[in-house]
Amino acid sequence: MTPLLSHELSRRSFLRGTVAAGAGLALASCARPSGSAPTEIVFFQSKPEVIGYFDDLIDQFHQTQDRVRVRHDFTSNLAGSFVRETPPDIGCLNYNFEISRYVERGALSDLSDLPEAKRIRPDLQPLIDVTATYPDRTSVLPYSLMAAAVLYNRTIFAQHGVQVPTTWDEFLAVCDTLRGAGVAPIYSTFKDPWTIAQGPFDYSVGGTVDTTKFFNQLKRQGTEVGPGSPVSFEKQFLSPVEQMQQVVTYSQENAASRGYGDGNLAFAKGEAAMYLQGPWAIGEIAKTSPDLDVGAFPLPMTDDPADRKVRVNIDLALWIPEGSRKKEAAREFLQFLMRPDVIDAYNAHALGFGVTTDATPVTNPTLVELKEYYDRADFYVGASQLVPQSIPLQNYTQSLAAGDPPEPVLRTLDADWRRLAYRS
Amino acid sequence: MTAQTLLTTTPGQVPVRRRRRFGASGDRPSWGATITLVVCSLAVFVPLYATLTMAFKTTAQSVDGRVFSLPSPLSVDGFVQAWNLTNFPRGFAISVFVTAVTVVGTVMLAAFAAYAIARNWDRRLFRWSFFYLLAAMFLPFPVLALSQVKLTGMVGLANPVGVAILHVMFQLSFSVLLFTAFIRGLPEELEESARLDGATTWMVFRHVVFPMMAPMSATVAIFAFLASWNDFMMPSLITANSTLQTLPVLQNIFQTQFSSNYNVAFASYLMAMAPAIIVYLFTQRWVMAGVTQGAIK
Repeated sequence: MTPLLSHELSRRSFLRGTVAAGAGLALASCARPSGSAPTEIVFFQSKPEVIGYFDDLIDQFHQTQDRVRVRHDFTSNLAGSFVRETPPDIGCLNYNFEISRYVERGALSDLSDLPEAKRIRPDLQPLIDVTATYPDRTSVLPYSLMAAAVLYNRTIFAQHGVQVPTTWDEFLAVCDTLRGAGVAPIYSTFKDPWTIAQGPFDYSVGGTVDTTKFFNQLKRQGTEVGPGSPVSFEKQFLSPVEQMQQVVTYSQENAASRGYGDGNLAFAKGEAAMYLQGPWAIGEIAKTSPDLDVGAFPLPMTDDPADRKVRVNIDLALWIPEGSRKKEAAREFLQFLMRPDVIDAYNAHALGFGVTTDATPVTNPTLVELKEYYDRADFYVGASQLVPQSIPLQNYTQSLAAGDPPEPVLRTLDADWRRLAYRS
Repeated sequence: MTAQTLLTTTPGQVPVRRRRRFGASGDRPSWGATITLVVCSLAVFVPLYATLTMAFKTTAQSVDGRVFSLPSPLSVDGFVQAWNLTNFPRGFAISVFVTAVTVVGTVMLAAFAAYAIARNWDRRLFRWSFFYLLAAMFLPFPVLALSQVKLTGMVGLANPVGVAILHVMFQLSFSVLLFTAFIRGLPEELEESARLDGATTWMVFRHVVFPMMAPMSATVAIFAFLASWNDFMMPSLITANSTLQTLPVLQNIFQTQFSSNYNVAFASYLMAMAPAIIVYLFTQRWVMAGVTQGAIK
């Protein structure tokens, strides 16, 4: 018995030692150099295409002052950092449902007192509010906006003597002409469901339904969504979805087995005249054909040319968490990022549209065609961006593209929305 | 993923395959088995070939849709970009640190626990602690994720040390199971004779039992290595400081919806995969040597 006892004792002291070591580690990590050292803030930004660009911006910022040091974080888990109560000091992220959770729970601080907040175009506010709001707070400042429409090959259009369509009938006529000439009118990539949701589906719905109004009303209705309610998917979405099914019939033969990467390659090689993708595809197309002459036009869904609208989404938005202990330093960096020259240069680089009233106009040869719609505020947030991820909308649009009858799919969508509203 | 599943299943198969070849069929080649093995190895070599060629392509060539074409012109641009973008040396060092602590910690702790449990099976405390450890196998990390994030944050372990400790914890139950089963098969007479010569429990373990467990230690070490080296979720959630992140998490920046930089991504995957393959080749030999050495004559 004796040796066993001594073993247990030593084990206990070993454990004690481990705990002491752990506590020591914890204390060591708490200790921070005090004094006049610069404040280090964590900047969370994870859009992969522009990580290098923001690194350069941080260097520029460091050169202008020495009070604040910025550490660029593009790998941390956002939810984890909030749970740990050590959120990043400033974030610059896609404004979507992930971030809406933080907005709605009041985890992001109010930025309305910053002069930069006054520079944001007022007509963007409904787009921000329809995703998420917190009472009496400006939780996020938009930074970059993407406008998506139908990309088209100007050379192919000119070869076949067709003009950019301004009405639904003109659009069908263009497709028929191209098909008659042996050209695939539209390149579709049904293998990647998101390309259907953000393309044919969003363009068709957004071209006929006021998505902001629709989703605000839908939220007000709560669980009352169905055939008897003022708005529901099966009522308002039926006709645009039927039109969408007509649009996708003009796709190339093998659309069902093609993904996003294939689409970029094929469109770059001139295998189709139109491609329903946003500006993010422009850079990808340029990887294969840097000199391709690409234009863009909003998909006309009605017989009135004035009804044409572009699909927009807030690609990047700035926010400062309530839980940050260095809000002042974070605000200083935010003000640097919002400087007209900095924000304009970024948007020109990333093919975004400016979100401030003083922004320089877009110059990209493809996107200039969409400028007039954006300036007139003829835009909408894509419906697929306003449906929470827990509803598999993308997959539903895939089955619609494959030819499923729309009524049962939209009824399912209503039922999903009811269930979600009931749970929350 | 393919690499992982294939690697984890092979150690057990290798000796079996050997024995069969030297056994019944003599010199005659077995065509059925050969064809099966060729098909199986193709499942590894085809993706590996694609990874290798893709890594050396230019960006323009990498998106041309021809996966199996040879890179022309040969470009190391992908490697340069991947190296800079992930800060490869630092990420690699952290990954190595986490994995080393995990492997050593798992083998040591699991061997201690398994020896104690297997040789005290008649006592209730040890039996139940075995079941307690096994019960942990039914708790996947995602279930505990948020509480672990919170707890590690509170005790200052939101760093690679915490990740390594958690890796050891999560490997423990399966490893103890393997070790316990193995120790049961070891003859107790060897230990008794050591004790007669005056050895303490620690000396028996250190000089008799642990060396005999070498083959199983190798297996446990390989499992721990792969689990730790390839893990994404735990380091991504636990590590608070992004400069202390492991490679698999850093490489997540290549997984994007809107753009495809296959050459950069594959170059980075190749650099991260290389150590796993090298370690595997190295330990595979060790396992086979261990199998013959550990046998009682």
